[in-house]
Amino acid sequence: MLISCTWLSELLGRPIDLSPVGEANDPFWAQNIAERLTSLGLEVEGIAYFELPKVIVGRVDAVSAHPDPKATKLNLVELFDGQASVQVVCGASNLPPVGGKVAFAPVGTTLPDGLELSARELRGVASHGMICSEAELDIGGDADGILVLPIDWEPGAELQDLVPGIRDAVIEISVTPNRPDALGHLGVARDLALALGCELQPPKLRSVADAPELPELVEVPASDRCPRYLGYALEGCTVGEAPLWLRTRLHRVGLRALNNVVDITNFVLMEVGQPMHAFDRARLAGERVVVRMAKPSEPITILDGSELELSTDDLVIADAESPQALAGVMGGAGSMVEAGTDRLLLEVAFFEPLAIRRSARRHGQHTDSSHRFERQVDYDAQLELAAGRALALLHDLCGATCVGRCDVRGPLPERAQIELDPAHVGRLLGMDVGPDEVARILSGLGVELDRSTEGAWLCHPPSYRPDLDRDVDLIEEVMRHHGLDDLPARHSVSPEQRVMLPEDPKRGLADALTDGLRARGLHEHVGLAFVAEALIAPVAAEFEPSQLVRPVNPMRSQQACMRPHLLPGLLDAVTYNHAHHARALALFEVGRIYRWPLSQPELQPSATSEVDPFLPDEPYRAAAIRVGQSQSKTGEVARALTDDLLACLARVGLHAQARPQAEPCAWLHPGIQAGLWIGPTRVGVVGELHPDVVAARDLSELELGYGELWLEALPQPPVVQFEDIARFPATTRDLSLDLDQRVSSHEVVAALAGAAASALSSGDDPPQLANADDPRQPIVLLEDYRGEGVEPGRHALLLRLNYRARSRSVTDAEVTAVHDAVVAGALATLAAIDPAARVR
Amino acid sequence: MAADAQQTPQQQLDEQLRSFEAALPDVADEPGLYELQVRFLGKNGAVTKLRRLMGKVPPSERKELGKAFNRVKQAMETHLATRAGELAAAARERDLARRVDLTFIPDPPRPGTLHPITQTRRELERVFRRLGFDVADGPHVEAELYSFDKLNILPDHPARDMQDTFFIERPTHLDHADAPALVLRPHTSPVQARTMLQHGAPVRIVAPGTTFRRDDDATHSPMFHQIEGLYVDRNVTMADLKATLYAFVEAFFGRGLGVRFRPSYFPFVEPGAEFDMQCPFCFDGQLSHGCGLCKQSGWIELGGSGMVHPAVFEHCGIDSSVYTGWAFGFGIDRMAMLRHGIPHLRHNFEGDLRVLEQFTSP
Ligand SMILES: [Zn+2]
Repeated sequence: MLISCTWLSELLGRPIDLSPVGEANDPFWAQNIAERLTSLGLEVEGIAYFELPKVIVGRVDAVSAHPDPKATKLNLVELFDGQASVQVVCGASNLPPVGGKVAFAPVGTTLPDGLELSARELRGVASHGMICSEAELDIGGDADGILVLPIDWEPGAELQDLVPGIRDAVIEISVTPNRPDALGHLGVARDLALALGCELQPPKLRSVADAPELPELVEVPASDRCPRYLGYALEGCTVGEAPLWLRTRLHRVGLRALNNVVDITNFVLMEVGQPMHAFDRARLAGERVVVRMAKPSEPITILDGSELELSTDDLVIADAESPQALAGVMGGAGSMVEAGTDRLLLEVAFFEPLAIRRSARRHGQHTDSSHRFERQVDYDAQLELAAGRALALLHDLCGATCVGRCDVRGPLPERAQIELDPAHVGRLLGMDVGPDEVARILSGLGVELDRSTEGAWLCHPPSYRPDLDRDVDLIEEVMRHHGLDDLPARHSVSPEQRVMLPEDPKRGLADALTDGLRARGLHEHVGLAFVAEALIAPVAAEFEPSQLVRPVNPMRSQQACMRPHLLPGLLDAVTYNHAHHARALALFEVGRIYRWPLSQPELQPSATSEVDPFLPDEPYRAAAIRVGQSQSKTGEVARALTDDLLACLARVGLHAQARPQAEPCAWLHPGIQAGLWIGPTRVGVVGELHPDVVAARDLSELELGYGELWLEALPQPPVVQFEDIARFPATTRDLSLDLDQRVSSHEVVAALAGAAASALSSGDDPPQLANADDPRQPIVLLEDYRGEGVEPGRHALLLRLNYRARSRSVTDAEVTAVHDAVVAGALATLAAIDPAARVR
Repeated sequence: MAADAQQTPQQQLDEQLRSFEAALPDVADEPGLYELQVRFLGKNGAVTKLRRLMGKVPPSERKELGKAFNRVKQAMETHLATRAGELAAAARERDLARRVDLTFIPDPPRPGTLHPITQTRRELERVFRRLGFDVADGPHVEAELYSFDKLNILPDHPARDMQDTFFIERPTHLDHADAPALVLRPHTSPVQARTMLQHGAPVRIVAPGTTFRRDDDATHSPMFHQIEGLYVDRNVTMADLKATLYAFVEAFFGRGLGVRFRPSYFPFVEPGAEFDMQCPFCFDGQLSHGCGLCKQSGWIELGGSGMVHPAVFEHCGIDSSVYTGWAFGFGIDRMAMLRHGIPHLRHNFEGDLRVLEQFTSP
């Protein structure tokens, strides 16, 4: 909302310094007014200064055609500037006749758009300045012709001295939705008057109390939607151009002047914050209005020319036949005031806010009027004040007199009655605010106080402050006006013991895995939680289509779903990077995915059980992607990623194993993938991305490894229990096996461990498979060799086994016997998958 | 050996000493020294052998010979010790003469990085934990009930518009008469409601997390991050809010930056205020003089705050006549961008390696 300081100054009865450079300690300097508004909660977005030095009133003394016969549109104007005669070339078609007055910018003037005028020649004739239009002077929107001034204005006088509001400072404030009173200059001035210690000057009103009651003028069947309607019948109105000061005022606050009647309603809208509407009464069928609900699909053509189809939830102002206005939103074209109108019906009403909001939204018509009605205008004194203000202006500027009036009332809102304990003000704010200060502020804002009772006061907020409803609302008013600058910074002391709340262990785990992946040299990516449905396709087998969580109102199709998987987002990042550079890439993301459960979960009793069983699952995932740089695909990227994920788990105390996938993951390479297991639980998956998935993203030249951990599957790491230190040395045996390439080292290790378990169970303290360097790895993988010396389709696996007894040294012979038994046992097991498995 | 036959045992001893002394300088190391020792003084060493002649000389000469023998042995041992010292000194010199260029690291390990939003969120959590706050979080898909109604955001409030908030529809297979209407939480404030419902008062939490609004332009992303603070207890005041924000700004930016409130309006607090902090980028220890980052104002707008609205307490089962409380909230993404000087929002969620790899701080 734009606030004119000239306007404020009239309402405050005090001059305001309108210049950009003022006295720093002058509270009435526009800049300081702006700061005060911010401190009052009317946040200032900006301030603009306007002035128009040197532009003066010029008198047309003679007009002649330009000597150049081709310059048919140009005239030579002899202008009197108050002291001398000047010659100006002018192209306007609306030059007044000799003796008329125009706005003249002499040579040396800088116009608001920054143009500095110098003497120049127009088709060979010198022009010593310029006759200006409103638009050129930035005091109006009319750029079609020059500005013609009243005939009685003195030539030579500076225009800005004659018209208040040409010089101005305009402050843009953003008004929070709780302050409808600040949507007019009066409300803003009321706040300032209290803050600056001056008396609010009520605008000039016209009372029409002596005009006859005219009940037939207005009928309000929909009185719950329109609890109050003031209607005035006016006659003798001359519709024309509003005076320059009024047009300038509207221009300063961002409105366009139309004609004096409409301009006056807009002026009062901006002054009091009360929208109103003037109908051409002669064009109303039956010369009256009916405030009723629209009929189904009833049409109306509104002022901007568009035709709306109304619904039965729309309140309309109709004449005897058809809607003439969409109530509180916009007037209709059929009864608008225009040149020639001489009888008016002026509407000053209070509409039910929510209904106006629905209508405005339904028809996409957010207007200055609906904006105020939605936030609730006053239904009482201020409504009457607005009417009186408009009647005064219509009388003074249009010659309109009131010949009849009516005031139709329905169920009005109840005025709030609030109990306020003045001591509670200081208690809530944590600063001393005495009861007298509280009373000064509240009564200054129009709150009626009854201080006679002990303890709490009885407070009645004014009807133009619908936001004041509870004691805390009044405390906020005190805070705004008392100010927070002397609010101390002081920690409260509570008599109660604070309870430590339980925290979600998954958050800590997610942070730890984040650190782990980062420590492996990967870079953390944060992706949008939205994903395009098409990009989900590769991982679609992971869930049912009905499990996808979809916003009803996504902003674009690329954001149609909540991500059910982290792969699409990481692939987006890979695609982005691949398009911009060719460097090695290792990214990870730890975050939530979203899936509906397959069936309605059981209701768990809790304080939030009315909601929680109905929410989608939001499990955390830790996903990583690596892009290889080598020319040929080796699978090394997937292996590196496996190593990353296992190390990352080890870092949080979880010892996982990669195992071959019993059921391969469809979006990973069928021959290059593994499950990540902790004991009997699969906690993640890793591998090279399937060539089809990579091809679908046009990334086929890249070797892409991807792996992810499912945080909901990760167990709580056990608390480590001490084991006695191994005191006796281990004896090692290396073993080289020749195996089909389908046989994974995991299976070999499992077979050896199994064989060891049965071979070593007998005897007293037999040699065990045990490794002093890494107790968790009694069998060390040394090499997985494919190449010369090994048949194609097979691989040679080199392992090292460590044997040790708990309480004694073992002999070589003993170990050899045990080792042979273990190897034989393992080969017997492996024969089930690879009959040709053998020791090399 | 004819000459030996003519030499007396003492002459032979001296001969051995001379021969020992001649060999000594050629000894280059510890093992060589040991070898020399063995050659002369070992079990079968030359000197040891001569000692065995002792029995063959007449008793009158034995004493003299014994003396000579000890003299030679002692001389040799002294020589050995001296030489051992020299060798050790030389070895030390050689050791000290080694030179390795540690500034030459051909392929230094490149550290991974944490996203600036993660770094900032963690730093905020750390600071608020030190101030005695627990960290809470909630679901991203949240009931309208907790996102709005419980927070005194009434059904006609613009934030509840389809224009501003993402709504979520439950799939047909989960049709349920009691299912509440769902949204993507537009702020972290539902965590306030959840925490109060679940734990009552007193309570002191921060809730950092992901939030969603239907905004997408140069300065808005449909997904962003917020942190919310809530403190409910007896005697909690606006002054306490100020003290906490001071402490936070001090801990987070490490300098005595001022905090100021500007009255404002948020449905879930009353009184409500926006809070600004002095711009840390143009702060001279006392005043912030204005710079590009604070649009020359000397202040940086952080977020909204205020005293919890009694209606919110009533909706969340807390007795508003006993407890008071405050809440605040601000954007993590913007804080991260300010902190690291990130110029454009789009850098946040693109995953550009050239951006991410810069954030090597812990
Ligand atoms: Zn600054």
